[in-house]
Amino acid sequence: MGYALPFTGTYAMLGESIVNGFELYLEQSDGEIDGQEVETVERDTEADTNRGVDVTRELMVEEQADAIVGPVSSSVAIAMMQTIENEASAIWLNANAGDYRVVEEGCLNYHFRTSFNDWQTSAPLAEWVYDNVADNVCLAYADYAFGQNSKNFFQKAFEEAGGEVVDEVGAPLGTDDYSTYLSDIESSGADAVFSFFAGSDAVNYISDFADYGLDAEMTQVGSGFLLSEDTLPAQGEAALGMYSLLHYTPTQETDRNQEFIGNYREAYDSSANVYACQGYDSAQAFAAAVAEAGSSDPDEMANALGGMELDSPRGSFRFNSETHEAIQNMYVREVVESDGDQPVENQVVETIDSVESPNWGCNLE
Amino acid sequence: MVETFLRATLLGVQLGMTLALIAAGLTLIFGMLDVINFAHGALYMLGAYFGAVIAVNLGSFWLALVLAPLLVGLIGAAIEVLSLRPLYGRNPLYHILLTFGFAIMIQGAIVQIWGGQARRIAQPDLLTGTLSIGSLNYPIYRLFVLVVSTVLIAAVWLAIDRSNLGILMRASAHDTEMVDALGIDVSKVFTSVFVFGAVLAGLAGVLLGASRSVNPGMGMGIIIEAFVIVVIGGLGSFRGAVYAGLLIGLVTAYGALIAPTLTDLFLFGLMAVVLMIKPNGLFGTTEAA
Repeated sequence: MGYALPFTGTYAMLGESIVNGFELYLEQSDGEIDGQEVETVERDTEADTNRGVDVTRELMVEEQADAIVGPVSSSVAIAMMQTIENEASAIWLNANAGDYRVVEEGCLNYHFRTSFNDWQTSAPLAEWVYDNVADNVCLAYADYAFGQNSKNFFQKAFEEAGGEVVDEVGAPLGTDDYSTYLSDIESSGADAVFSFFAGSDAVNYISDFADYGLDAEMTQVGSGFLLSEDTLPAQGEAALGMYSLLHYTPTQETDRNQEFIGNYREAYDSSANVYACQGYDSAQAFAAAVAEAGSSDPDEMANALGGMELDSPRGSFRFNSETHEAIQNMYVREVVESDGDQPVENQVVETIDSVESPNWGCNLE
Repeated sequence: MVETFLRATLLGVQLGMTLALIAAGLTLIFGMLDVINFAHGALYMLGAYFGAVIAVNLGSFWLALVLAPLLVGLIGAAIEVLSLRPLYGRNPLYHILLTFGFAIMIQGAIVQIWGGQARRIAQPDLLTGTLSIGSLNYPIYRLFVLVVSTVLIAAVWLAIDRSNLGILMRASAHDTEMVDALGIDVSKVFTSVFVFGAVLAGLAGVLLGASRSVNPGMGMGIIIEAFVIVVIGGLGSFRGAVYAGLLIGLVTAYGALIAPTLTDLFLFGLMAVVLMIKPNGLFGTTEAA
């Protein structure tokens, strides 16, 4: 099993969480899958497309990996597709990279999304926003592929639901100060704003939004990465009352999730996050594939996984047999005050059941 | 429309003054010590992290604002005394490589100690909320940052221009041997200048750490902007750093209004134009270049 993940640079924390999640599952099964000891090899993609391709080839050809887990960045994933297809010697458990084009352009039998795609984290929120929040919105997004995809998917679904998009504002990735963008958002006159920002951009954007008092004028809704476990501690009370959509929320009160959270804390002395869940589910998928196929032959494993259901901390989900995307519940969460060690946390306010993405012309059946 | 323009102008001036605060240390160190200090951004980042830790553990933004820059100053002193001092007078490449190495080490240490997650310094209660200026709402904290950086810049300017210390600093940079011969320990003057530059960077780190996220990439992000300012203003010119800082602040703010994705292009375009018209920067002397 080979990790093709970033262990250095901006995304290092995500890579580490995915590995932690995967190894938690291995530990719980004594390091064995289907009676065989699992050997793991780590390779650093450095979130660089060229490195990603080299690492993938190395893991498949030299290390003879049966499964590749990773990457974090979608541009790395798109660069890896060709190599996976050419070598055809391993299944690919995509534990984070969410660009829909991995499926649209790749449509690989070996590719399984144990994570999410950018349509899932934006479009299903549109109808809920229209019904519960506002019938007109302004769109705000980090101006790169994932941000553009997210706002386009949301816009389409929101207009289909009957809503109106009154304005849109794109800010460059890595913007430190959102003042001027916020004045555009404010002057749009919209009742709500749908946003896609992630990481430190999300921290700056949400903090500025509250600093300027816009939270009193309009409702903030967005993709789950806008208000996630890695940004909420820094956003703090500025994030209160905002809504976002994601496939996993650590505060979910199911037994399955609480058990996962508890085990994770015991093993790593830190809180599990969405990336850890994706890593954990990648391990579950690998184990299930081997068990069902009775071997580690990549074609047999891929056939076994298509349509298969997994019991995940996020709630059970299954792989679409046409696209190998996860068909999963999406959760609308609200940021509320917490009595835990952080001032605020996400609380699920609505579950959108078994969300199935478009197939983007990919049919593997 | 007027409101948008006014807000952009306020933002531009505020951004400009904080950038000038960061660039001031960089340009002073170059002007006096002839050292291109690539670790300056890392020192700014250290200020923000120290500030965040102090603010959380001691529960006071104000203590963080005072203590964090002093700690950064101590680290600056260690860097100057232990590593830079033996290399004075050598090819500038030595300083660049050495300080770049420090930047990478500091960044690595920060990731090791505090992880890769973004954090933020909580603003003091006194300064939260917005102030209404006509129909314009502006966050009080940003006005505070504007006032503090402007006062600091003015104080440093006066100190360099008028005080005996300032005269001594300028003299040491101008003719090291002569000042040395007059019985003054030039190496102490150099250390003081480096420490002072580090303290300014650390202070800017705390100030901005409460209005933008504190993360391991912030040092490398700011150093490029700071260098653009120092080059536009004229290498080594304090006055140049202040004017260029304001210029860049306003260009960034108006640029975001007109074409958000082209902000970087505006910055480097401006630098190219200035260098074509005035190769030594706006206030550069031929000597400094």
